Amino acid sequence: MEWTTEEGADGVTIGITGDFDLYGAPSFARAALDGIKGGWRRVALDFSRVNYLDSTGVGTIIRMLQALKAAGGELRCRGLHGSPRKVLEMSNILALLREEKPTEARQ
Amino acid sequence: MKTLVIRKLIVDEGNELFDAQGMRYAEFASDFDRVRDYAALILESCPPAFREGNLLEQQLSEIIKNGIKHGNRRDSAKRLRVWYDLRKRARFIVEDEGEGFTGLDNWNEFYRKRQTSLHEEDFDGFLTLASWRGPGSDDEDGGNSLIAALEYWNGGMIYNGRRNKVGVVRWFPGGSGQEGRT
Repeated sequence: MEWTTEEGADGVTIGITGDFDLYGAPSFARAALDGIKGGWRRVALDFSRVNYLDSTGVGTIIRMLQALKAAGGELRCRGLHGSPRKVLEMSNILALLREEKPTEARQ
Repeated sequence: MKTLVIRKLIVDEGNELFDAQGMRYAEFASDFDRVRDYAALILESCPPAFREGNLLEQQLSEIIKNGIKHGNRRDSAKRLRVWYDLRKRARFIVEDEGEGFTGLDNWNEFYRKRQTSLHEEDFDGFLTLASWRGPGSDDEDGGNSLIAALEYWNGGMIYNGRRNKVGVVRWFPGGSGQEGRT
């Protein structure tokens, strides 16, 4: 699992590539939560290159939602598809995420 | 109005899901680094129609992970036993050598509150209940694998009396899955 972080006028966009799973999610969580502690408030997760999401990845998203809510921020997501979308749906977390439509996402 | 659905983890030692007759068997060391390898190995002969992308592998990996991490506590001397049957449906029995899921009743109560918050659109309350935290939980636990599991295993998810063995079944649209073979 790899990720890139891009800070812009619309907040921070994190593009994730690979399996968001029990092996990759913990280090991502540390980086993302550090970013929120450091001042990120509008964060977008780009899942378009994520084909596998497990409960550790879902837990990371929940921790980001909790941290951003406490800080008065917002978590958005884009590019959800396939089994990652289904896993978030089965965990009842999809309803908490603001999904950007393709036209909303910056190019 | 949406219907409130609250499922439960059930303990039933004598349940037919624990009848391993005719099932294939595999046994693994408690190697946390190989959780996904073990799931992939078991699913080598799985009909493509059962895989649903990688959803079956993901859900099986969660059960294996729970057995190795929370059951056997990554003790390399302890084994994880898996019985599986991929004919007509995906059916598994996974047994660890740990003390059992002692927090099962507390988990059911947590889940009831969580789903009630969601049903009542109390999203702030729901967010505080989004992840289960048991005595053995750490920061790397998502705390939501069983929530998705209760939805995914549509043929049942049953624990044995000692709560160290779980039987699960998923049925698929179209029945046998044989039509998905290539």
